Amino acid sequence: MSLQSASHRVVERAVLVCLSAVFAAAAGIAYTYSLKDDLGPGAGFFPFWLAVIGGVLALFLLAQSWRGRNIGDDGEAQWPDRPGAFRAAALLAGLILSALLLEPAGFRITAFFVTGALLVALGVRRPVVIAAFALVASFGLFHVFYHWLKVPLPVGPFGL
Amino acid sequence: MDTLAHLASGFAAALSPAYLAYAFAGCVMGTLIGVLPGLGPAAGTAILIPLTFKLDATGAIIMLAAIYYGAMYGGTITSVLINVPGEAASVITCLDGHQMAKQGRAGTALGIAAIGSFIGGLVATLALALIAPPLARFALKFGPPEFFALMLFGLCLVSGLAGRSLAGAGLMTALGLLISMIGIDPVRGAPRFAFGIADLYDGLGLVPVVMGLFGVAEILITAEQPLREVVRARLERLLPSRDEWRRAWGAIWRGTGIGFALGLVPGIGAIVPTFVAYVAEKRLSKTPEEFGRGAIEGVAAPETANNAYANAAMVPFLTLGIPSSPTIAVLMGAFIINGLTPGPFLFQERPDLVWAVIASFFVGNAILLVLNLPLVGLWAKILHVPFRYLAVGVLLFCLVGAYSLQQSVFDVWVMIASGMFGYLLRKLGLPLAPLLLGLILGPAIEKSLRTSLEMSGGDFTIFVTRPLCLGLLIAAAAVLAGAALKLAPRELRAA
Repeated sequence: MSLQSASHRVVERAVLVCLSAVFAAAAGIAYTYSLKDDLGPGAGFFPFWLAVIGGVLALFLLAQSWRGRNIGDDGEAQWPDRPGAFRAAALLAGLILSALLLEPAGFRITAFFVTGALLVALGVRRPVVIAAFALVASFGLFHVFYHWLKVPLPVGPFGL
Repeated sequence: MDTLAHLASGFAAALSPAYLAYAFAGCVMGTLIGVLPGLGPAAGTAILIPLTFKLDATGAIIMLAAIYYGAMYGGTITSVLINVPGEAASVITCLDGHQMAKQGRAGTALGIAAIGSFIGGLVATLALALIAPPLARFALKFGPPEFFALMLFGLCLVSGLAGRSLAGAGLMTALGLLISMIGIDPVRGAPRFAFGIADLYDGLGLVPVVMGLFGVAEILITAEQPLREVVRARLERLLPSRDEWRRAWGAIWRGTGIGFALGLVPGIGAIVPTFVAYVAEKRLSKTPEEFGRGAIEGVAAPETANNAYANAAMVPFLTLGIPSSPTIAVLMGAFIINGLTPGPFLFQERPDLVWAVIASFFVGNAILLVLNLPLVGLWAKILHVPFRYLAVGVLLFCLVGAYSLQQSVFDVWVMIASGMFGYLLRKLGLPLAPLLLGLILGPAIEKSLRTSLEMSGGDFTIFVTRPLCLGLLIAAAAVLAGAALKLAPRELRAA
């Protein structure tokens, strides 16, 4: 078994174990809502049986995985090389940073700095290009959504 | 006669300057999404939902539908020019389309694809206008048990046809349905799975989940891959020669028939009609050896089938409320955001909207033809936009979209979590379509199940004593059995 497929199996099993646990917890919680009441099936009826079915399927797939079988299609099963993983991780980190800064710093400041940082991380080296793109992506996008489309976006310190 | 009158009023609305502008903008953005690598129609439509927040419901749906079929065409351009399908349905177009580009016939390939898409879309929309009203009238006879059985049938079709693992698709369906249970119980009004978190009382937002599952996950996956160079193809001649016309004409009509017929079946997906159309042409051809080497029929048939499918898939969606593909499920989300429920009642409650949208399909197909023939060179240039700028721009759009619906950072976190989960599911080969369909249909399927059981005093035989309901349940069981039988040999080989 190659390192790629060994890692794939680990991730696959971890996801299925987590899903089994989620379904088990959901079944337990749904059971505490009434499965049946005066009018017929209660609030817990549908989620309880869904969780049971989902849990059984997750365990079945887990067993399949342990027997060395594929649990799904294999279209995108290839995991990235180091530069590819770095690019994806940078984008995800940018998104997480945006969520953290969005309300305290406002959309324009958040988008300006996150865009700039992401472009640097993705290999853009020309400061003028980075600044221009970050300006358009932050102040430009804000203007389009806030003023033209009337979509409210958070405003940060100094009205920015 | 009624249909004609409704269609005429629909055209009057669709041709109004505002709706025409929305359809035009949707076609442009849709084509752009199709052209740009790393963004499929589902992701693109989801990402652009925020642009429609301030539009009225009809305008919003017209624009999003235009984005949908614009993206379906846009994928062709990358297939022909760089041998990379912009979306899954354009995979087969790569075979002959890119060969034509290598032979200096890229313009002709894109031209015939635009013309075929136009004809396929137009005929399918005409058939949609004729078929949808009687089908909707028939569906009005449905009671809660029939609706439950119908939605179950739709879920079984999508799960049964979604991938190579029936258990995997079933797992995703159950998960989607379970996630849709978060929030207030639709029948009794009590909170479920909310854990005292106020943000969860309304359930997980559909827009952030869809943006995460499709938009963020797709960008992360594309970011991992090295991007290919664009072929500097010549695009001088867009219209086919007389001989090419002769060869493509029959392929276009056969593609239309295949695309439309398969578009009526929920869950088939956009790839199957294009493959069937391609294989049919190859079988019928007197020169099958030319397929894969730049045969114009190999572009005309699948591209026509693709667009005919996209328009025909609106029939089960508008009349029965069953989305056939992830993109239509996203579109369904847009309907729900606008307070509309696709299905037979929509034809009664909002005929103005339904017919304006149907008329806009005609208008949109014409706009696409006008846009794509002369502007194909411009679209080809857009392919040169480096991915890093595109990825950052798309993520900012996702951020705005997830936040702005309820001005909630919680929704941004939901989108990020959905994106990471969608990424993992795609890596594991588990299908996203059943998850999304379960998420969207969950509340309605639960409500119809519980209302049915309340009608019968908890007696489950209500589902087998009503002929239509029983028929639909048998059909659902047959779909699952068929899928299991199809997959069984593979499982046995793997054992």
